[in-house]
Amino acid sequence: MITFGAPAYLLAGGIAALVPLALHLIRRRPPSRAPLPTARFLSPDPRTSVRVGRPTDLLLLALRMLLLVLTAAAFSRPVWRPAARGTASVVLLDRGAAVAGGDAWLRAVAAARQRLLGPRGEALGAMVLFDSAATVVPPSHVTPALFDSLKAARPAAGSSRYAAGLRAIPAAIGGLREADSVRVALVTRPRWNAWSAGLGPLRDAVWPGAVDLVELPDLETGDAEIVPDNVKAKGAIYFADALERLSFVKPGLEATRWEVLLPTGTAEPALDSARLIVVGRAVPAGLAAALGRAAQAGATVLVTAPVAASLRGLIPWAGAMRVDSVGGGMWLASGPHVSGAATRVSGDAARGASVIASWDDGRPAAAARRLGRGCVVFAATELERGEMTLDAAYPRLLDGLARGCEASDAPSSIDRNAALDAGARAVLRGTGPGVVAARTVPGWGGGVPLGRWVLAAALVVALTETFFAYGRKRAV
Amino acid sequence: MTVRADFLPPGLLEHLGGLELVARTVVRGFQAGIHRSPLRGAGEDFAKHRDYQQGDDVRYLDWKLYARTDRLYVREFEERSNLQAYLVVDASASMEYAGAGGVSKLRYASYLAAALAHLMIGAGDAVGLAAFGAEPRLLLAPKARKGHLHDLMLNLERLRPGGTAGAADILDRLGTSMRRGGRVIVVSDLLEEHGGEALVAAAGRLSARGDEVIVLRVLTPEESGEAAPDAGLFFDPEQPRREVPSTPRGDAGYASRVAAYYASLADRLRERAVEYVPVSTAEPVEQALVAWINRRRG
Repeated sequence: MITFGAPAYLLAGGIAALVPLALHLIRRRPPSRAPLPTARFLSPDPRTSVRVGRPTDLLLLALRMLLLVLTAAAFSRPVWRPAARGTASVVLLDRGAAVAGGDAWLRAVAAARQRLLGPRGEALGAMVLFDSAATVVPPSHVTPALFDSLKAARPAAGSSRYAAGLRAIPAAIGGLREADSVRVALVTRPRWNAWSAGLGPLRDAVWPGAVDLVELPDLETGDAEIVPDNVKAKGAIYFADALERLSFVKPGLEATRWEVLLPTGTAEPALDSARLIVVGRAVPAGLAAALGRAAQAGATVLVTAPVAASLRGLIPWAGAMRVDSVGGGMWLASGPHVSGAATRVSGDAARGASVIASWDDGRPAAAARRLGRGCVVFAATELERGEMTLDAAYPRLLDGLARGCEASDAPSSIDRNAALDAGARAVLRGTGPGVVAARTVPGWGGGVPLGRWVLAAALVVALTETFFAYGRKRAV
Repeated sequence: MTVRADFLPPGLLEHLGGLELVARTVVRGFQAGIHRSPLRGAGEDFAKHRDYQQGDDVRYLDWKLYARTDRLYVREFEERSNLQAYLVVDASASMEYAGAGGVSKLRYASYLAAALAHLMIGAGDAVGLAAFGAEPRLLLAPKARKGHLHDLMLNLERLRPGGTAGAADILDRLGTSMRRGGRVIVVSDLLEEHGGEALVAAAGRLSARGDEVIVLRVLTPEESGEAAPDAGLFFDPEQPRREVPSTPRGDAGYASRVAAYYASLADRLRERAVEYVPVSTAEPVEQALVAWINRRRG
């Protein structure tokens, strides 16, 4: 089947072809002048003073019309497309330093292999190997042996550039001629140092669908340590004399056993002297004012979901504050993603507050607001329950929440070695469908471009027309 | 008995090269096609006998006399004087016309003249050359030697069409320069002013004084109307400013008018004992000659 990328040219060519037709029909020219020694015996015929060129110019007319139609057809980007079925994959495999260390590279190769090789080892698509530059591996080269060799190889030492991988998508898709739809996956450990300005528009330009972001596990898994110093508790309120003290929570603790380890022999702390106050359960009514004063004095008060109703006037949260069991994953603005929250509280950040964490669906998950010299932070979930406490990033979640006002006050400074935040990941993923019809992808090679051949045919017709026109002129 | 001959079309002769080779080729075809050539030498008259000497050609021994006298005598003959002939070629502008055949009338006329010169010189006749077009010109005086043939060919090759002169002037000049009883062969398209009256009169004067006058009329099929051209703006090369918009192919009267002109001319020439031979450039030269000679022989 022949399709046209710009059929308007074809229409224009058809209309243009009518011009020589009209000219041939209306054009009259004087008869040819020829010697004839016996001209004295001719009887003058006034009708031959002008001559219509129709009978002898039909071939020229046809050639000229054909020339215009072919030229227009060449510009209309004709493509012959063979019948195609199935969905092909394009896997962008990060081979930069981000996937070095541990078994990340092997996992990356395995993830790519899973997406690109069928049960009998047949290729299911094309691969793009990229770091700061990209190499397209066409389907014909996607073999089990390729992945074996990749396993044996090591990632590059330099940083990756997502832009390089994304730019190679059209070339990779260009080689997918037997598929009628395409999906794209990116296998990487998302890092800011792979990011570059303008990546969002670039991503949208090269791929209209969503990218399946296959994230490799973070190397920091299991790095948290128990540091039980200077943390104190009073009922359901936990105190610490430094913000970072909350990072002692050990991953793997069950939710119900989350507790603060207190040094023995420590006196009951006063709220006024606390640097960080975590409120995990309902508190007496009179304590709300004391927490507010503590914040005014410079403390950070971190309030969790179960306390929301009792501290409504203090927390930077607005709305119905209905607790439901949806839960889910939480993205912190400072980077980490923590999955497994058991519940969430509906509502939104109050006026003047900053959203410092979001749920996977983009709705606010935590907010912070300055209060005097201190800060009040509200986390719209129960920090002590659910599977989130088992997540490796859980300590950093608590740390991030405890520094809520710092995050909202401080100018944006991204640690290039840090993981991509939720927004950046969302940009990488995109919002389109996961599988896109191949014919809608710019630069899809699912067909044989005929433009050059049609242009060559037009050139041949032009030469033929010149030849015949010259011959006719000589004959006349 | 007629010998079958393969004639060469004029277009092919054009590729043969020099006119001399063309003439030889034409004459070969011509000699194969005629019944008996009237242009062959008229023979020699007996003069006397003399004694045979060693080295004499035995063909001339008189055997009857030897039988009577028992002595060898050879017969000697008195050579007959050559016939003086002039080839008059039309080189006017109209002779440049070639039609669709590709060979111009002047070229065709040159073929005819070259072949005739070859034949006549081969028969011992003295042949001269004259032409008219831009002006009447006596190019070569009549001579019978073999080397003269080369000069004839050279002059024929040099002929270039141009001018509007008629044949009458050159014919009158021939009448004053050549002796009586000669032969004048005019090769022309005979497209003359005033219906060719001057030509007819001049040819009649030559004929009246005892010369044999032959007029070979050369015409293309386009001119005769056999293959009349399609519509166009036509002009006579000798009068290029007078243009006639016409469609000869669709003009039924055109061919008949041409035919009537030449029929009238032929009648008037024949009245003056001038032989009129129409020839078409579409016809092979030697075929035209053979047809003419055979027609002449009856």
